[in-house]
Amino acid sequence: MTEPLTSELRKAITGWFIPFRYNLERWAYALQRITGIGVTAYFLAHIVETGNVVGGLSVWNTPSAGFARDIWTATFQFLENPLFDLGLVVIGFMLAYHTINGIRLTLTEFGFLQGKPSRPDFPYEPKSFTKSQRAMFWFSILFATATAVYAMTVFFGV
Amino acid sequence: MRESTRMLLHYVTGLGIVVVGGVHLFTVFLTGSYSQNLAFIGGAYSVISIYKNAIFAVTLELLLVLVDYHALNGIRVILIEFHQGRGWERGVSWILAIAGLLLLVYGTRTILIANAIVI
Repeated sequence: MTEPLTSELRKAITGWFIPFRYNLERWAYALQRITGIGVTAYFLAHIVETGNVVGGLSVWNTPSAGFARDIWTATFQFLENPLFDLGLVVIGFMLAYHTINGIRLTLTEFGFLQGKPSRPDFPYEPKSFTKSQRAMFWFSILFATATAVYAMTVFFGV
Repeated sequence: MRESTRMLLHYVTGLGIVVVGGVHLFTVFLTGSYSQNLAFIGGAYSVISIYKNAIFAVTLELLLVLVDYHALNGIRVILIEFHQGRGWERGVSWILAIAGLLLLVYGTRTILIANAIVI
């Protein structure tokens, strides 16, 4: 390992998460990673947030229903503002994309939708990213957009 | 555990999340108004009703386990692709395993206590 870790990390991050100049498969890959990290961040926050249903970390026995209700209601009121709602719209988009594109990746992993093996010819389009796979990728984008629109109607009543 | 086994589990938990997470989203968004279902009490799908319902509580716990594995293994995959090395891989895997265990304990605690609340 001749390269220091930090420069290696910087190279990896710019290489992965800035998929310009690359093909569509690279976009699918970068988006899968970005949305995965986004949804993971939401998952962490969600575990902390739902912990407040029982009164949070300081409560280690069964609280009364009234106490739990007050803490939860305060939490919900704190979270009910346009900024967090907008965040949920983005999370909805990420979750929907990650789901459909994840199904595409699972199909790939188990050998479906691969097409027939053939000689690599110029301009060396990736053979693994077949027509049906492209269709699934665009469907994931469409589905994610629809989810975001649905989330807008739920949170903002648009 | 072999890397291939970990990745197989990644795909299996992913497909499981599609099903169990679907149930979770269904109870929150499609059984009534959003504000009604996120109220503490009132109706079959309010926050406390979900936790008090044995089937939904088990569903939440299952979702917690599946997402916990899938999310942290996903982060692990990203981190060991950043940099290769035995020490890095072992360190990343251990730290994320402990973080995952803590999350699992905290989430399970929420479900157990909420299930025991008397209303």
